[in-house]
Amino acid sequence: MTNQTVIKVGSTATGFWGKFRSVLARRTEGRAVVLFAIIATFVTVSQPLVFTAYQVTLGRIALIGLVALGLTAVILMGELDLSVASTLAVSGVIAVTVANQTNMAIGVLAALAAGVVVSLINAFFVAIVGINSFIATLGMLFALRGMAFVISDEAPVKLQNTDLGIAFGQPLLGPLTPRILIFFLIFIAIQIFVSRVKAGREFLAVGGNRQAAYDAGIPVKRRIFTGFIISGVVAAIAGIINAVERTSADPTSGSTVLLASFAAAIIGGNYLKGGKGSIIGTLIGAASLGMLQVALTISGVQIPIQEIFIGGILLIAVITDPSSLRAVWGSLSTTFQGIKNSLAK
Amino acid sequence: MTSPVIEARNIVKSFGGVRAVDDVSVSVMPGEIHAVIGENGAGKSTLMRILAGVETPDSGSVRIDGKEIENSAKASIDAGISLVHQELSLIPEMTVAENIMLGAFPTNGGWTKTKEMKKIAADTLKEIGVEVDLDERISRLSVALRQFVEIARAVARKPKVLILDEPTATLTPAETDYLLSMLQRLASQGLAIIYISHRIPEVFKICNKVTILRDGKLVTNDSIGDLTPDKVIDQMVGRELHLDLTQRRPAREFGELVLSAKGIKAPKVNGIDLEVSKGQIVGLGGLVGAGRTELLRAIIGADPRSAGRVTITSNGKKRVITGYLSAIKAGVAYVPEERRTDGLALTMTVAENIFLPNRKEVSPTGVMPKGKIAAFAKDLSEKVNLRPPEVTREAGQYSGGNQQKIVIAKWLGRKPSFIVLDEPTRGVDVGAKAEIHKLVKELADEGAAVLVISSDLPELLELSDLIHVVRDGKIAGTLTGAEATEKSVMSLAAGEKLVGA
Repeated sequence: MTNQTVIKVGSTATGFWGKFRSVLARRTEGRAVVLFAIIATFVTVSQPLVFTAYQVTLGRIALIGLVALGLTAVILMGELDLSVASTLAVSGVIAVTVANQTNMAIGVLAALAAGVVVSLINAFFVAIVGINSFIATLGMLFALRGMAFVISDEAPVKLQNTDLGIAFGQPLLGPLTPRILIFFLIFIAIQIFVSRVKAGREFLAVGGNRQAAYDAGIPVKRRIFTGFIISGVVAAIAGIINAVERTSADPTSGSTVLLASFAAAIIGGNYLKGGKGSIIGTLIGAASLGMLQVALTISGVQIPIQEIFIGGILLIAVITDPSSLRAVWGSLSTTFQGIKNSLAK
Repeated sequence: MTSPVIEARNIVKSFGGVRAVDDVSVSVMPGEIHAVIGENGAGKSTLMRILAGVETPDSGSVRIDGKEIENSAKASIDAGISLVHQELSLIPEMTVAENIMLGAFPTNGGWTKTKEMKKIAADTLKEIGVEVDLDERISRLSVALRQFVEIARAVARKPKVLILDEPTATLTPAETDYLLSMLQRLASQGLAIIYISHRIPEVFKICNKVTILRDGKLVTNDSIGDLTPDKVIDQMVGRELHLDLTQRRPAREFGELVLSAKGIKAPKVNGIDLEVSKGQIVGLGGLVGAGRTELLRAIIGADPRSAGRVTITSNGKKRVITGYLSAIKAGVAYVPEERRTDGLALTMTVAENIFLPNRKEVSPTGVMPKGKIAAFAKDLSEKVNLRPPEVTREAGQYSGGNQQKIVIAKWLGRKPSFIVLDEPTRGVDVGAKAEIHKLVKELADEGAAVLVISSDLPELLELSDLIHVVRDGKIAGTLTGAEATEKSVMSLAAGEKLVGA
């Protein structure tokens, strides 16, 4: 029995640059990194203030990115969670209302519990009933928005403990505010979960080929529940932070968060159909968007114009995907060949 | 004598009214490579899915080492049955190591032990003699390597029985040879292997025993020494004596050349020339996966082709086909394989479906008068004998055969010069099938050029004036309608040299 090896592949790259290139090719964040570098260069030249006032920039990144991080857990499995925006609003209202009657700790717990309940209902409809997650969470988006208005009596709820709110906006560790610290802690936690913990590593399998994941013995439904819980709880945390920082919970808050979160995830190379992407990608996506927004704001660009920029960048991020480029190239070459043939006739 | 590792007893499984597996028993000894062969749709894959616990049989039992096992995927895996699927079931964006260990990551309190995972994966790859970078993502590997990773995944679970469903369908000859010697090596270590293949030379190269299925029934269960390739093909086809030769199309003259395709290359198509004349029906025979659908779609521009030139001549005008729209303009009608997803809008009415490709014919102005559409649709549905011809019904409410008639009807309005049909009667009842055959022949007699793919041999023989048999993306042989037999087509398709030809 000779164990002859005739088939050999990979690890052909040698040397530092060879290894660097093969690692780069394996990652899904490549385009996000390039985009980030372009924006960073552009910003350094035109608005260096973005870096000098890095506290502001980091704050903006944390604002955009936090919900996106949780969302990515669901997106990796090929599901969507549109309800995050309303979860954010409702949990802020709950946190402040409960805190005003008891104390902040109980308020936070109540808001987090609300986040969990929302995600369980979402996951139930998606994994058990089998409703498309876009529809299930769209329903949840509306229902929770209504709930936020009912609980708050249709007006922003003021946080009575204003000292806490003011303290929360101040730097806690070096120049970093609690919001920024929480953002990075949550990033690290989810990143470790999807890259080191068995359940998290299997998310990519659930999104990449659900039948194969099921056949291999992965409890697909349980993984979907976990994903929605991550996204719901992170959205609830974002809602609490918003409410405490502003010392007031606005039932209309979060309306812009939804689109920005999806934008960050997509720019970060996450594939909406699942099975492709990463938490780091979302972080880079959020950082690109945050930097751009701050730079544009400092330059005095109006919000609507900023949104045009974001839209453009989103499209660039999507169409530079290698598989879309290949498809475009394929149909172009057929057409050209056809034209060539008819000319040759 | 040792006892069998796996034993399937009296397995029966029906889908709808059709018995896909009809009272089949198979047993395999340790170290034996057991071939299960048969035509497309003979029930091989269903039987294997039952063994793997993915499909529930209507009756019958599966035993491992003499003990009956429960029917579930988990019970089968636990008992030591590993199935290597025909469709690859790898996760594209995960690494080689992760895929090999998928669902069985070694853990320590929920934390994955990456080093151990890589070690097991590396050992398994070494065992089957393949060297792949463990950190490479599957999406960056060739099809052949994916197939080997898939086998590694099955082997990593230390199975007693390894089932492979057409593992060589996408491999090159060198890769196939390598796979076959790998299987022989695994068998020599005591593994029982069930090997499903259409390729008869492979079976004779490595298998010890052969089970042949035909129409869900077991027809042969013999040692390889008692069989010859010729005998095997006879057994697979089985019914050539019943073929009604009077139904065949008589030899005759055809009109001008309609389709001319030269040097077509596309994924799974490796350089094919094809011609179809006015009034001629050309059949494409071959096995599933041989590249027939890909060829056809490349010809009409529905999928991009990497090389080749296609022209269609209709009404004395010669047009170069560059894409699907130019093909439609040149008078192509395409009846696809998946009529429910590609051919019909099931929630729209029959009239609306028929109207879709005929917008210009019915209403040159773009206004869509309902009555005119209905009348137009009614005419065509009567021509194809739609039953009942109620054009206001939703297409989804009709049976498979009638749905196929609607798809054909909607193209007839354009008076197509070149009609392309992909498996026109799959899943269609006998009556509707005969009507569709009659319709296709009439269309050719009225002057259309017809190209038809069929895996149903009697159908292919009945319809075709000329049969090209496709194998591995090339034309393996061409037979005239008069000289073709089920056996000669099957021999070409399966890669066995024509005896005496």
